[in-house]
Amino acid sequence: MTQQMLTVTTRHVAARVAVLAAAGELDHDSRAVLADAAEAALHGGHDRLVIDLTELGFCDSGGLALFVDLHRRTTAGTGQVHLAGLQPPVAVVLHAANLDRILPLHPTVEEAVRAATPTG
Amino acid sequence: MDEAQRLRWLDALREVLGGSSFWTPEDLAPGVNAAVARLGLRTRIWLVDHEQIALRALSEPGRPPAEPLPVDGSLPGRVFARVESAPAGSEGRRRWWVPMVDSTDRIGVLEYGAAAGVDIGDPEFVRQCELLAGLVGHLVASLGERGDGIDRARRTRPMSPASELLWRLLPPLTSSTRRVAISAILQPCYEVGGDGFDYALDGATASLLILDAVGRGLRAGLACAVALAAIRAVRHAGGDVHHQARAADAALVEQFTDTRFATAVLAELDLETGRLRYVNAGHPAPLLLRHGKLVRELGAGRRMPLGIEDPAVEVAEEVLEPEDRLLLYTDGVTEARTAGGDRFGVARLVDLTEQHEGAGLPAPETLRRLAHAVVDHQAGPPVDDATLMLVQWSTPAALKTVPHAGPNGGEDHPAS
Repeated sequence: MTQQMLTVTTRHVAARVAVLAAAGELDHDSRAVLADAAEAALHGGHDRLVIDLTELGFCDSGGLALFVDLHRRTTAGTGQVHLAGLQPPVAVVLHAANLDRILPLHPTVEEAVRAATPTG
Repeated sequence: MDEAQRLRWLDALREVLGGSSFWTPEDLAPGVNAAVARLGLRTRIWLVDHEQIALRALSEPGRPPAEPLPVDGSLPGRVFARVESAPAGSEGRRRWWVPMVDSTDRIGVLEYGAAAGVDIGDPEFVRQCELLAGLVGHLVASLGERGDGIDRARRTRPMSPASELLWRLLPPLTSSTRRVAISAILQPCYEVGGDGFDYALDGATASLLILDAVGRGLRAGLACAVALAAIRAVRHAGGDVHHQARAADAALVEQFTDTRFATAVLAELDLETGRLRYVNAGHPAPLLLRHGKLVRELGAGRRMPLGIEDPAVEVAEEVLEPEDRLLLYTDGVTEARTAGGDRFGVARLVDLTEQHEGAGLPAPETLRRLAHAVVDHQAGPPVDDATLMLVQWSTPAALKTVPHAGPNGGEDHPAS
């Protein structure tokens, strides 16, 4: 049942860059779906993650903790995490927790991918 | 009341206090009754359950058990709710209901039945009853640390391990001094997630904390416990709210390999000047209420949640006016939803607070009603913890938390 709350589709768009499109609701129960997808991407050498939240309608503190976790793990090396396309219910939660101070936010996936793509 | 009777009361208090050294929770009810027998009185100790819905009699050997009494819609419930003594109304039943508190923390009520010769209409009689009830309230609190019998009477179902952990960490739900009343409530009490609160009253300073750790069950409870302990350690050493928050960051990062964070408000209120210093670690902003209206949400002092290092140092300041109220809450309050998706929200929270304060209720009763309104607002069982803390910088508000006779108490007693 919880598996259907959240679906994640992964696209590898450039060297090291993967876009994880999350659709549905991200909470303590469903976060494993996104965590597993991120794990697979990192394992495959994609350490710059763009998480597309355009189709995400809900996020609780369990989701926020996962974003912070991925941010910490990637930035411990040379990786990055970018969040894109936040809808109002998700943006409110993220701003309320002041997490916009560490997590880079982008209006669109395109802008996020541009920021995430290594230059030179 | 004559001198001989006063001495008999003093003896009864002395006997309870002196005898209690070796008591276990099971000895309390018979011990109190042995001491008041020569006053022509018999008592029954009623404890409020953890969810604060009903009063439950502490069992006593050789006495038939009594049915629980609802807090809403019963005379004893009203005595508990308003911390206001009242005589039982019906003729021929020579009875008084007296609030039982541990200092100012509501524990339950003490029921007094009087033999024919006792002058129960004497105002001094009621004051003596309140005095003894206060002593019994202290003993309920201290004996509850010694054995399980007190808590068993206050539970309607088993507690989760996370709740067992947390309730041992928290201070009493209500504490008042002449200048301030602080009260808090946390639901669901038998299955706490990661919410917690703390306060300390020292001289002219009130330290305040509300926090909400990410996750569920014991996992969240452990994060909450670590943050709370780290904050207390720094506070005890004299550190301010900024350093308290930094200590919680360090402890959470050190203790857990995965990301654990807690949103929190840490504050310090100067009870002389009304100056409030606070930091807000990703938590809903505290509400400042004045004359029953929302003046503003205290939205400054922002930093990231505890457990995520935030070098930004910004301790915010606000100056309270006498009689101001400060309401802190976790998002489980405002995010509670009906089946149709209607949020409980800040406006409803403010309205209800204003309504209960306007009715002259003491702080713990306002919070009890707010917490139940949040639970009732939701279609099913609560999905998140809901915690509220109300701080009233007000002497009249503080006095409402101290046991007192009701408007008709002690004077025009109906069963004369």
